[in-house]
Amino acid sequence: MTAFVLTDEQLMLRDGLTKFLASRYDLDASRAAVKTGAGWQPEIWRALAQDLGVLGASLPESVGGTGGGPTELMVIAEALGYALVVEPFVDTAVLGAGLLRRCAGPRAAELLAQLVDGAAVTAFAATESGPDLHVVATAARRRGDGEGWVLDGAKSVVTSAPIATHLLVTARTSGNPDDRDGISLFLLDPAASGITAHPMRTIDDRVAADLVFDGVRLPGDALLGAEGGAWPLVEQVVDEATAAVCAEAVGCMRKVLADTVEYTKQRKQFGQPLSRFQALQHRMVDMYMEVEQAAAAVQLATLALDAPSRTERARGVSVAKATTSRAARFVGQNAVQLHGGMGMTEELAVGHYFKRLTAFEYEFGTESAHLARYTALDQSRS
Amino acid sequence: MELGWSAADLAFRDEVREFLDAELTPELRRAGRLMTSVYADHHASMEWQAILHRRGWAAPDWPVEHGGRDWSRTQHYIFSRELVLAGAPSLSPMGIRMVAHAIVRFGTPEQKEFFLPRILTGAVFFCQGYSEPEAGSDLAALSMSAVRDGDDLVLNGSKIWTTHAGEANWMFALVRTTRSDRRQSGITFLLLEMTSPGVTVRPLVMTSGEEIQNQVFFDQVRVPVSNVLGRVDDGWTVAKYLLEFERGGAAVAPGLQVKAATLAEHACAQAGPGGRRLLDDPSFAARLADVQMRADVLEVLEYRTLAVLEAGGNPGAAASMLKVLGTELSQRISELALEATGPRGRVYQPHATAPGGPVTEYTAPPDGYLSGQEWQAVAPLFYLNNRAGSIYAGSNEIQRNILAKAVLGL
Repeated sequence: MTAFVLTDEQLMLRDGLTKFLASRYDLDASRAAVKTGAGWQPEIWRALAQDLGVLGASLPESVGGTGGGPTELMVIAEALGYALVVEPFVDTAVLGAGLLRRCAGPRAAELLAQLVDGAAVTAFAATESGPDLHVVATAARRRGDGEGWVLDGAKSVVTSAPIATHLLVTARTSGNPDDRDGISLFLLDPAASGITAHPMRTIDDRVAADLVFDGVRLPGDALLGAEGGAWPLVEQVVDEATAAVCAEAVGCMRKVLADTVEYTKQRKQFGQPLSRFQALQHRMVDMYMEVEQAAAAVQLATLALDAPSRTERARGVSVAKATTSRAARFVGQNAVQLHGGMGMTEELAVGHYFKRLTAFEYEFGTESAHLARYTALDQSRS
Repeated sequence: MELGWSAADLAFRDEVREFLDAELTPELRRAGRLMTSVYADHHASMEWQAILHRRGWAAPDWPVEHGGRDWSRTQHYIFSRELVLAGAPSLSPMGIRMVAHAIVRFGTPEQKEFFLPRILTGAVFFCQGYSEPEAGSDLAALSMSAVRDGDDLVLNGSKIWTTHAGEANWMFALVRTTRSDRRQSGITFLLLEMTSPGVTVRPLVMTSGEEIQNQVFFDQVRVPVSNVLGRVDDGWTVAKYLLEFERGGAAVAPGLQVKAATLAEHACAQAGPGGRRLLDDPSFAARLADVQMRADVLEVLEYRTLAVLEAGGNPGAAASMLKVLGTELSQRISELALEATGPRGRVYQPHATAPGGPVTEYTAPPDGYLSGQEWQAVAPLFYLNNRAGSIYAGSNEIQRNILAKAVLGL
């Protein structure tokens, strides 16, 4: 069962990153950067890229990466979750890198090298009005002169857009709004004329924007991959990102569980520590078992990402997202409950982690959406 | 539900409805509709209190001689139900619904004459000083000291979870005047002015970014002994009496029914999986039906409690059951509302809501841009604030302990 044990290299990656974050990543400083500052800490990003080399974890050495795979991404995401890192690892190093490394061409290769060394940050603009990412009304049509494209449409709550150097946008080049065929992937400069960005902050202290595209003119090489054939790629990379945020959530949950256990040992009411009350002990044991199931489900997803069949991959990822969403809700809510009023404030870490776990629940499909996808996959087998 | 109501009850309902149609302005309705917690915007709440007061309805459950109404319990319930159905902003419970009852029961003639009319007009606005950093669920562990010095008590210590301490000009507080083996004795119930020298208010930023709760520090604060309510060292008696008014008697279920029905409306307009409306998603629809049924059942439980009270009986620990069921159902509804909000549930945009306190460290977009609709801006903040329901006013763990002991005899 070697697949269930981390290699020495993976352990070194985890321990090095964990140590770095413990000494360099301050919760208050990271919140302040989002609330009143630049939206992130670029110096942390540079260190992740250059000192720790984690941004190229899943990329080949030809573009400066370290040639890892899903396991490396999960190890990193969990460590980032434990420290509640707001910098755009999943948006850039999982979604951006995952899309670009599967697209041929010089632009993609050049951008990948910039991602690895921290110079480029990508935002993935796919969400429109509903939960299904294949429902794409944003349209790109060929320019009359045959040179490039014109883009019209809108995307909602695009995380990392305000700090991104590049946008990866899904747009329809043919077919009906809910067809899986006819979706293409474009690379955009966020400063391009015709893009209106409405920047916003999320409850879990990330930056995002609603984007409106009004006759945005794109050069011919803005198209990444095959025209009209982006959906299988998008679906695969979104599965990778889904698994990565699940791993991140496991990191968050491990931290709030540890904090909750510690808090109940310290806090005395009715002449004894809260941790002596059996009802609360059982609650914390239930939290623990939810975390362990979520961690196991993430491992299942990690293995499934390398599976040859789309069905097997999607099933594994849906198991992980449904299980981890359920765990995030139970663990987050009870961590707040057991911290009492203090859990309702921004004074302790638990409140910040709770907000991240809440946002996570609804990110890349809810528990209910993944239960439905699992069911549909099951039916397609028989 | 209006099954089992008499013709007189229905006529009373129509009278209240007529008043609300005429007096509840669009601004006040907005403040009620966009509340992110159980607390309305302070100014809207006080404005609404003034309008109710003009009609003589600001404090209907007070004794008639102090400005209350001679209504039956059912009429009180109908009144409170109509307010939530109409989406009126809530009034602060601390003065009218809580300390006033203790003043009526335990106050001196001077205290009654000073406080009661001013609570009605809003000239006196109370906050509650019960919890302390080391005394939450275990309230009898409170240690803020009050030492007699001439005609004054001198206070040192701190109170926490003081709602609207910044807006209040008076506080009712439990302080320790005598240390004894029996922790409930030696506690005194005190009324004090927030402007007293030595009182400092530190706002606590909630996860919603709102400042509603506070910690209040007392450094050599002098309060005249004449401001003690009841007898010195006997404050626990006053607090226990007051607790009956904090729990029970209010119509919680109708508000939850309105919330669930509104959610159903939104789910009709919201895109769900597979290109259908969210309401057509069987999983969502089933969970929505579940909370609606629970709200209907809770309403009947409230009526049953009401019937016991009406007959002069004591519903006992039923208040604990209603508190647990009401707050946990409200939390379930807030989860569904957040799910219905979709990707916008993650966006922080308090500028499109009517929060119960100031919001810090947030700058609204200069053009007032709103991603989605107002209800989508309310959903995440309501969800976060709603987690307090199972913590405040006796945590749900404490309520379950009460039920285990009082109902099951365990």
